Amino acid sequence: MHGLFRWSSKWWPGVIPLVVFWAFAAWTSTAPIEADLAARSNAALKDTVLDKKRIAVAGRDVSFAAEAFSEDGRQDAVGSVEAVPGVRLVNDETRLVPEAKPFVWSAERDVVRVTLGGSAPLPAIKGRLLEAARAGLGGVEVADQMNLSRGAPPRFDSAALLLLDQIGKLKDGKITLSDTTVSLAGMARDLGGREAIAAALKNLPEGFSVAANDIKAPPYVFQAYKDPVAVTVTLTGYVPDNNVHAALVAAAGRKFFSEKVVDNLKASVGAPAGFASAVVPALGALSRLSTGTLVVSDREVKLSGDALYEAAAGQIRAGLGKDFPQGWQFKADISVKPQAAPVDATVCQQLFADLLAKARIRFESGRGDISQDSLGLLDRLIETALRCPSANIEIAGHTDADGDQAFNQTLSEKRAQAVAEYLVRAGLPADRFTAVGYGSTQPLAGNDTDEGKAQNRRIDFVVK
Amino acid sequence: MANLATFFWGWLLASFLLGLAMGWVAVVHRGQGVSKLVARCLAVLAAGLVAAALARVVPGRAGYWLDLGLVMFGLYLAGCAIGSWLRDWVVSRALRRTDGP
Repeated sequence: MHGLFRWSSKWWPGVIPLVVFWAFAAWTSTAPIEADLAARSNAALKDTVLDKKRIAVAGRDVSFAAEAFSEDGRQDAVGSVEAVPGVRLVNDETRLVPEAKPFVWSAERDVVRVTLGGSAPLPAIKGRLLEAARAGLGGVEVADQMNLSRGAPPRFDSAALLLLDQIGKLKDGKITLSDTTVSLAGMARDLGGREAIAAALKNLPEGFSVAANDIKAPPYVFQAYKDPVAVTVTLTGYVPDNNVHAALVAAAGRKFFSEKVVDNLKASVGAPAGFASAVVPALGALSRLSTGTLVVSDREVKLSGDALYEAAAGQIRAGLGKDFPQGWQFKADISVKPQAAPVDATVCQQLFADLLAKARIRFESGRGDISQDSLGLLDRLIETALRCPSANIEIAGHTDADGDQAFNQTLSEKRAQAVAEYLVRAGLPADRFTAVGYGSTQPLAGNDTDEGKAQNRRIDFVVK
Repeated sequence: MANLATFFWGWLLASFLLGLAMGWVAVVHRGQGVSKLVARCLAVLAAGLVAAALARVVPGRAGYWLDLGLVMFGLYLAGCAIGSWLRDWVVSRALRRTDGP
């Protein structure tokens, strides 16, 4: 042992090459060791949920910065890095993800893209929301402006996923989830979209509520176009349901006696209240025009076109709005068709016969009141009467043979008189018309079938 | 540190062999050794460095280099000790043989 001390005093010269070795060792090994420690630290944190993770190694010391989503998670992460073999010190620069109060998440849709903004609680949930947005919106660009925060309400993810589903039903707008309250604003993509969104919001997870639902529906549009050249009436747009659809088409068939009804209507929810009771009289007004367009947009009815004579234009302008349910508006842009050239009395008779062969003037059952469905036909009869101002016309009422003969006689007189009065109200001189009732004495067909009876119930115009 | 040795084990071996050689030479070396006072100072310095390494007060790369230097120096000393002891053993056996009958 004594020798060892003696010899050791002479060991110093070897320290000089040792220092050289040390320098080489330090030079060659530092960078590989730092890379190795960084790789193994990252591997140790692979399954830990962190945001903004950054690992820097100097020598054997690891600087570890990250944002964790809980205090336990943060400590676990630091512990995992400390446990990596070879690590000497961990400079703990971790902190918790900031807490958002209130916790706000939003999805906004404009013309070109959907922007997800606000806070998401975990990277996995953020990823799922983005994925759901891309899958659900098929082809629309999805911009991610979400950051990560703590403080999300329970079941945030299922609420946000449900709201993301709704953004697809919007044309533009914004859905905001603030803590547990939902606010929606914007315009629905389709008719019924607003109702579909309102229905879906009922499935929000427990604890969530709707603070404001300001989704607007696109206008509910119904259009009818009367084309005098093609002799058609084209119905397009929406109707509330199949019953209203059938009723409207039937009403159009009665009112437009000579035109073919082209039915391009689709059923959709979202109709304003009183839709049918506004559209039916509006169709009646359209039937009185020579050519015209009817546009019903939400509760606004616009009618434009040419009336057959001046008084008809006045009646339509003044009369139509009165029939509408409350809250409906009526805008008329009616001009008057130039009067056709005057014709001879015999031509007039022919024109009357042609018109009355296409349709008959209808009355309320068993009464002398003219049906609203026949106003279009009457306008055409008046237009014809205006073309032969010198002709005197007998308006002849006929009935079928059903019931009491005296009653039929009176009914035929009343009906003929009602038509004559209508013509006079339209501005024709009263002395041109004689109203005569023939009861059931001049049948056109046998009274033993319904069809025959219907032919016998008629008003004839006879030029004298 | 143990599994990091894969990166510099060659240098550790070199230090040990250097120590072994130096120890082997030191036994028969006739030159001047370091004085007792200097040896003590160096011992204190070494102890101080070891303490600094154990307390991990030197940060970053310098801390790693200190650890590396101390390990190499330790192996060098071990090599010296074994080398000197071996040489002493060889020398004293040879002396016994020449002194023998």
